[in-house]
Amino acid sequence: MAIAEQPVEMAQRPAEMKSAKPGIDWRGRALDRAPFLVACLMLALIVAIYGSLQSGVFSLDELNLDTAAALTLMLAATGQTIVLVRGGIDLSIGGMISLGTVIAATRFTDDPSTVALWALAILALGFLIGALNGLLISLLKLQPFLVTLATWSILNGVAMIILPTDGGSVPGWWVSFGYAQLFGLTSPVWMLLALLLFWWWFRATRVGITIQATGSNEKSAFLSGVSITGVNVITYGLSGLFAAGAALFLTTQTGAGSPTIGKDYILPSVAAAVIGGVSLFGGRGHLAGTLIGAFVLTLIGNLVFVLHVSSYWQPVASGVILLLSVLASSVAEKAARGRVQ
Amino acid sequence: MSAFLARNRLIVLAYAGMVVLLLVTALFSPGFLSVSNMRSTVVLAAFAGIVALGQTFVIIGGGIDLSVPWVLNSAAIVMALLCGGQDLPLVWVMPLLLAGGAFIGLINGVGVAQFGVPPIIMTLATNVILQGLILVLTGGSPTPSAPALIQYLSVGRIGAFPVIALIWLALTLVATLLLSKAAFGRHLYALGTSATVAEFSGVPTARTTILTYVISGLTAAFAGMLLTGYSGQAYLGMGDAYLFTSIAAVAIGGASILGGSGHYLGTVAGAMVLTILTGLLPALNLSSGALLIVYGAVILLTVSIGSETFAGLGGKMRRKEG
Repeated sequence: MAIAEQPVEMAQRPAEMKSAKPGIDWRGRALDRAPFLVACLMLALIVAIYGSLQSGVFSLDELNLDTAAALTLMLAATGQTIVLVRGGIDLSIGGMISLGTVIAATRFTDDPSTVALWALAILALGFLIGALNGLLISLLKLQPFLVTLATWSILNGVAMIILPTDGGSVPGWWVSFGYAQLFGLTSPVWMLLALLLFWWWFRATRVGITIQATGSNEKSAFLSGVSITGVNVITYGLSGLFAAGAALFLTTQTGAGSPTIGKDYILPSVAAAVIGGVSLFGGRGHLAGTLIGAFVLTLIGNLVFVLHVSSYWQPVASGVILLLSVLASSVAEKAARGRVQ
Repeated sequence: MSAFLARNRLIVLAYAGMVVLLLVTALFSPGFLSVSNMRSTVVLAAFAGIVALGQTFVIIGGGIDLSVPWVLNSAAIVMALLCGGQDLPLVWVMPLLLAGGAFIGLINGVGVAQFGVPPIIMTLATNVILQGLILVLTGGSPTPSAPALIQYLSVGRIGAFPVIALIWLALTLVATLLLSKAAFGRHLYALGTSATVAEFSGVPTARTTILTYVISGLTAAFAGMLLTGYSGQAYLGMGDAYLFTSIAAVAIGGASILGGSGHYLGTVAGAMVLTILTGLLPALNLSSGALLIVYGAVILLTVSIGSETFAGLGGKMRRKEG
């Protein structure tokens, strides 16, 4: 995964530029990427323990299974990563995921064209609601935390009106789409690869660079002529779009809709990003890290299972891992800052 | 008087909203303003209000506490387990659990103030860790019923007044004194306005930050024990609703989520507004889904009103970079 130059970040650190000798500052790069490297190490450790206790872990089947288990969180966390890099936070994805699953579970029929239409409608709705979040944040100068807390509540309410309890159904062919195979890899693995490809493309686009620049320093982005409102609309719109995508994928796994399921993805999506080295202060982070964070959170469940301890230890383990990785980033950040001064 | 109104515009608005809401509700359901109904509304609001007390301090200081649900739930369950329905053990169980809540707050505060962990992540982590530990401890099974004394504290009455309303009143007095009269309060507003400026002005920022989380741990644990008395039993997940409610009460009460402004008196009105809304909707024959929509709309409305005054560039976390 390309974690190459970060022109925006470099521009923010004139002191570093001055002191930089010709050639590559390997130590500085390592420090910048320490949180990401720690996440990789954690994942390797978890996979190693898991693999030594369970046979057949290093197989395509296992990869297919684990990716399917993690992909909903990964999709939700992709949107969250974009918002976090922008320097915001999106709690409304919980409402959007619930809403997406209940619309799908009540509107999808056996007819593929109806399904395609409604799936597109759900994705469009996700983008529009996210864009509305961005508009509210910009135009009324409101805090992302409170705006998205409010829209989460509203979307959750709408989902509960559409489908008061878990239920509904999606067609069987839609569910089997979640397990469709190509070259031995199931569709979730292909979607995971597509996510990485998307990020590799997106972060170098004008929009991607602008979002990162705005997250690094909103004032200088604004003074450079960036429309903060535009950035917010696109950032939160994308977050809503990915939440809608997560909802659609989730229905292939559950086969039904749930008006409450979305809340299980709000804080884990932030946690996955933070474990992967995305900074809550904006401007720093990569999707590769987030996806590894999502894998870590998902595989803890497998690990708890093969260790034959109560599954209730899973939240304890994920909390401890979250703390460890955020402490690692904080130490690395302090070291990096000390180096600059 | 007008200076007072200008300074506390949002708090006054929160109370005005509360009164309007009371009248509107009374219009749709005539029995709503009856003494018995007002009493049960205040009792319900008291639980949200007590949890939101700590949340108010944390938010004024520029942080947020996501660990309240499982601090509350842990206190409730451990209390029920240790007491086994008896009153006598409460003599040591209650102080022990209050200390436990304060200890979790201490961990949160130290993580935020000393290690620079973002509040959202720090308190989220302690929340899930507590959740897991309690699940392991109970094995997911229900716990014995609440001791009679705790039931008295949460549903009993002294004369015409519910005991818990009096407890809430006393806590409100203490919180008001702390915020308005004590040095701690001045430090807290300074810290929430700008951590950097406060630090250079000699405010003990680390100690003040840690104290807000300790207070939040204390109030969440206390509310957990009282809530066990109200429902007669401690159960898993009883605290989950209080995360949203406590933050919403603070926001409706006029505090800026960026820190540096707001008052517990506003939060009291916020807790009342949220509770009255739950009473209004059955009167209008609306579902729980509609209640969530109204909650969201009310939060959006109140923070929009406050935004002209407290608008700031950047997010909550960016402020910390100072």
